[in-house]
Amino acid sequence: MKQAYLGIDVGSISTKGVIIDDDNKILSSAYIWTEGDPIGASKRLLSLLEKQFDKKNYRIVATGTTGSARKLVGTIVGATMVKNEITAHAVGTTTFYPEVRTILEIGGQDSKIILVENGVAVDYAMNTLCAAGTGAFLSSQAKRLGIEVEEIGEYAARSEHPTQIAARCTVFAESDLVHKLQMGHPREDVIAGVCNAVVANYLNNVGKGKKILSPVVFQGGVSKNSGVVAAFEKALGCKVTVDENGHLMGALGAAILARKGKGRRPFDFAVEDTEFHVREAGCGRCPNNCEIICVYSGDKLIDAWGNRCERGAVH
Amino acid sequence: MILMRDRRPEGLTVGIPQGLLYHRYSVLWSAFFKGLGITPVYSGPTSRKVLEEGAGVEVDETCLSAKIYMGHVKALIGRCDYIFVPRVDTFGHFRDMCVRFQALYDQCRNLFRSTGQKFLTYNVDGEFGITEEMAFLELGQSLGFSKGEVKKAYAAAKKEEQRAWREKLKAQEPLLKAGGTKILLSGHSYVLDDPYVGKPITDFLRSIDVTAIRADVVNRELALKKSVELSPTCKWEVSRELLGGIALYRDQVDGIILVSAFPCGPDAMVNELLTRKLKDIPLLNLVLDAQSGAAGVETRLESFVDIIRLKKGAL
Repeated sequence: MKQAYLGIDVGSISTKGVIIDDDNKILSSAYIWTEGDPIGASKRLLSLLEKQFDKKNYRIVATGTTGSARKLVGTIVGATMVKNEITAHAVGTTTFYPEVRTILEIGGQDSKIILVENGVAVDYAMNTLCAAGTGAFLSSQAKRLGIEVEEIGEYAARSEHPTQIAARCTVFAESDLVHKLQMGHPREDVIAGVCNAVVANYLNNVGKGKKILSPVVFQGGVSKNSGVVAAFEKALGCKVTVDENGHLMGALGAAILARKGKGRRPFDFAVEDTEFHVREAGCGRCPNNCEIICVYSGDKLIDAWGNRCERGAVH
Repeated sequence: MILMRDRRPEGLTVGIPQGLLYHRYSVLWSAFFKGLGITPVYSGPTSRKVLEEGAGVEVDETCLSAKIYMGHVKALIGRCDYIFVPRVDTFGHFRDMCVRFQALYDQCRNLFRSTGQKFLTYNVDGEFGITEEMAFLELGQSLGFSKGEVKKAYAAAKKEEQRAWREKLKAQEPLLKAGGTKILLSGHSYVLDDPYVGKPITDFLRSIDVTAIRADVVNRELALKKSVELSPTCKWEVSRELLGGIALYRDQVDGIILVSAFPCGPDAMVNELLTRKLKDIPLLNLVLDAQSGAAGVETRLESFVDIIRLKKGAL
């Protein structure tokens, strides 16, 4: 019986999962939409992973979770490692690309840059308050232009003179885009302009003051958009690598971290059939009125968090 | 200004809002009023309710800390004879305070005009040669105390303030020599010391075994001199103390976190400057606003510390 490690990355938009062996070989992987239901998505993900998984020869001994719902899903699957997505992405990427110097990542609501030296992350930055230039922006603009977000790359590739779109802020970018369309700019050029705007926004905000060195690896949902990849290559003047498993890098990092961590707990696919529900309760014991999240398996309270102090502790 | 030359009152109570400059002058203010036989009444620790109440009355464009301050003022209405709101404009050339502190007294009087609440202030304005001591003298005399009495109370309060400050400086010394991961926190004391806004940051850092050093807990005279290494033209007193603190402590820590309350004017300039100038040390720009849940902050703090530990090979 060989050992295997499960990694789950539950983001705001998509939920990703992998099972790897001791040599980081992917034994099973899945990618689905979160659809605002991290628990349901995780269960669906697990059943997809189970189908590809060789239960006769492998046994899952440790589980890692990452992404914005890492804590909730970590409780449900009994994770041995719960890590933020930046660390997970850094660990995942440097494992597969030890020579990488810069990791660009644009997700549904976050964007990050991680700088690497000698296979170790040395610096990073993340978007601060504003979600300009993330996947959510691209989706809404595609909708406005009446095309699918998947088609953006194709349209952008046809453009010869990308339109200048104000990149500082999503709100201004959107009004500028409408203005340019009304002035008669072709759709292809406007779409290519949007891709350039995303890149300019990223480099001016998240990438500000960072020295971007080659090799560059680009991941996150937006990396699947060839228009943005081309815009990055043009802006940076170097090749930008998009791994075919780039969307799984967070989950891979979580699985690798679980393997490297000390915790061991055999994972049981039976959680797919367990009823979990979450209740939010206002603590009410002081004027902070903390929102406490209580997670139940059946009728049993298995975990709770959200309290700022001991008064709100749930046992 | 306080123009009511009341007869010297018996059993006078003065409300002290526990926001903004309270965190800088709490010892001085409390000792001064007590020295004159006045009973200070405190607004209590910041809570979500305080923030919500403050945000309801304060101008939208002001910073999170100003909104919290107004919540504290509101909590004191009707609970004391006077609410104490100082005006601190400048201590001299290149020693300005944020405009917020110039306007605060007038703003409070106008915002709470309909309540009939009386306010009390002192006015420090280096541009017109008005020192802190002169400001306190005017304050005390306006309440009917003799010049001698006020001078004595101020001198004693100042002594107590200096003693408390020396203790605070002394308490940080062993932290600088501690092993493990050390992070320098740079931010206004009314952000970092606020129980609702800043405390979750220090609590979380402690929970992941990080020693937090404060940039503002520093020999202030030395810091003002040292600050020119990072900016020879910065005109804000508190920003210069922080710049000096960073210049003095940067070699003794593993990373720096700039904590800022959105939208802080001085920080918008100074933290931008620091992001460009501090190239050789990991730097995190943490912007706090009323909306941010703890999760976003924890993700940023955890990943920042992970990157530092990955670099040291200690994760």
